[in-house]
Amino acid sequence: MELHLQFGFGMMEHCRHLLTGWGGGTVVLSPRDLNDKQLRSLAADVAGIEGGKILLDPQFYVPHADHDRLCSHGFWPADFASGSFFQGPEMQSLVRQIVDLNRDLGTEAVILPGMLANPVDDLWLAHHRSFLTTARDMAGDTKVYATLALGADTARDREQVTTLLEAVTRWNADGYYIVCEHPNGEYLVRDPIWLAHVLDLTAGLRLAGAQVILGYCNHQMLVARVAGANAICSGTWMNVRSFPPEKFSKDYEEEIRRRATWYYCPQALSEYKTPFLDVAYEQELLHLMKPPAELDGCYVDQLFSGVQPSSVRFAEQAAFRHYLHALRSQAHAPEAGGYDQAREEHNQTLTDAEHLLGTLGSNGVLGANRDFTDSLDVNRAALALLDKQRGPVLRRRWTSLG
Amino acid sequence: MITPIHSQVDPVWLSRQFPDLTDLQVLATGGQKQVFVARHATDGEVVLKLMHPGTDPARTERELEAASRVQAPRMPRIFEHGLLTGNTGTIVWFCEQRVPGQALSARIQARALSHHELLRLALHVSETLVAAEAVSIVHRDVKPANIIVDSQGEFWLIDFGVARHLDLESLTATVAPGGCGTIGYAPAEQCRNDKPDIDARADLFALGVTLYEAATGRNPHVDGARDRFEVIRRASTQQLPRLGSPLPGDLADLVATLAQPSLVHRCQTAHEAHEWIKELCEREGVR
Repeated sequence: MELHLQFGFGMMEHCRHLLTGWGGGTVVLSPRDLNDKQLRSLAADVAGIEGGKILLDPQFYVPHADHDRLCSHGFWPADFASGSFFQGPEMQSLVRQIVDLNRDLGTEAVILPGMLANPVDDLWLAHHRSFLTTARDMAGDTKVYATLALGADTARDREQVTTLLEAVTRWNADGYYIVCEHPNGEYLVRDPIWLAHVLDLTAGLRLAGAQVILGYCNHQMLVARVAGANAICSGTWMNVRSFPPEKFSKDYEEEIRRRATWYYCPQALSEYKTPFLDVAYEQELLHLMKPPAELDGCYVDQLFSGVQPSSVRFAEQAAFRHYLHALRSQAHAPEAGGYDQAREEHNQTLTDAEHLLGTLGSNGVLGANRDFTDSLDVNRAALALLDKQRGPVLRRRWTSLG
Repeated sequence: MITPIHSQVDPVWLSRQFPDLTDLQVLATGGQKQVFVARHATDGEVVLKLMHPGTDPARTERELEAASRVQAPRMPRIFEHGLLTGNTGTIVWFCEQRVPGQALSARIQARALSHHELLRLALHVSETLVAAEAVSIVHRDVKPANIIVDSQGEFWLIDFGVARHLDLESLTATVAPGGCGTIGYAPAEQCRNDKPDIDARADLFALGVTLYEAATGRNPHVDGARDRFEVIRRASTQQLPRLGSPLPGDLADLVATLAQPSLVHRCQTAHEAHEWIKELCEREGVR
């Protein structure tokens, strides 16, 4: 499974740096965070990096969004009216402009507009099918990915997920870009049904022969590898590691105003603020939190240099790069030979994290809302459901998923 | 002479309508039809089925026409079909090959099938379902009573009488509660008569339940259920218990997948299921 960089605020330099270091990778561009000139400039930069690839998320989730930069793009409809928009030339114009912009940027595939489904109903399905049909005629040989953006309640609803799967597996898109709002605005999801349904959707589409990219993810979605996902996307701030639809509104409070630096301990699947690293230091447990060599990009060496962590300058640049490097390494884990192996590996990751979290937690080293303790069983339960519903078919077809 | 066509047809009167048939005898009367056995001068032993009045004869005929195009080695051939008029209306009749043997339902009552017999059952029935799928036909009533085990141990899927051609207007009324088929074997979408969703996956569900019953002697959707509503609820929401030892895990995986309550979790086509079954059979040398 690949890690794509989900572009967000202030990520230009991170993208250039990380892709250069990794020898390639994919950046999912964000029109909300880049004006047209910046989109083109960054796309050119990424294309200039060996192995660098581009995708463009058109971010049509809330068509009435009023975010200034997002609405300034040429493809954004000046006058969106849900009734007539999809019947007339406006929708064709939107798709045409997006296809053209993708061509200009040199993207790997065209990600189509997707509106947040709350709920999935006949109209929503018809609109998205129209996007796909229209784009197919315009995109030529370029791959076309449909966007499936689901509100939290939609993703929790078995019937709606079934309806969606039943409909979209007949669309024959080359791939699907899935974006799911987290329940209750949580960063780490505590609801196993939500996660199980996202995995089910992923597996169902993969078994139908499509590629699947999961947008706006954090490390909890490493589990998507067991469902056969091709890629997860993540970035720097929380609002690109989960999906808050309100970020496309003008009055959204940028997270950057509440900035704090978090260290991601990949073997604990948890993040910690520096004061709690100090606690680990005093409890002589800090060494347990050092990233294993295979996940370490050397961005956090200073934290483990033998002094109190707060005494070294650990800034957000290193924190972000470390997070993304470690996450990419975890996502890239050696290709599982089969479904059972992938499932067992994830379960082992959870077990290892649980042991470490137990030790850290009992010694006061806590990650607050980024502590994975309450999500361990969420991932286990979601995996158990996936196994019951899809296990036999995934087991049989794993090597032919492509 | 016009004679009343009631739920029980007089064999003497019937003999006069079908002069080519001899030794006409009642075999069974079901919810949708009355069944006779007879001998035909050239076709040999045949089964004559009279659909009960109340269905649209023209559409029934179209469905029969479609079903007769299914090309499968272990499915009775439909020799002839037509309309018969009595004073209560017109009904559809069809005459098909009689398959000598024992109904699987009777076989199961005597003993559960072995591992290899289960594989052969899955192979032969799925082969017929693939042929049906190729001409857009859904059987809609796969169950042990509609499977005949012949003297060679081969499994025949009979009674395409309620089959549905996916490209034709459906025979069953949109509002018909429960649709067609048999509860306990029909999946949720068929019980709801949710026509756009009824395709080969409905037959695969029924095959899964049939395999489970053939392996264990019981249908968990039916066993101990208070009423038909509970049977439907179970079939719509509950997974079958996993088949255990001495049956191997790969067969248990197959049965569990075929009988998944949600159609999105089953094999998506009869062809996909058949390929899987063939792999299991080849591994065991079953044909």
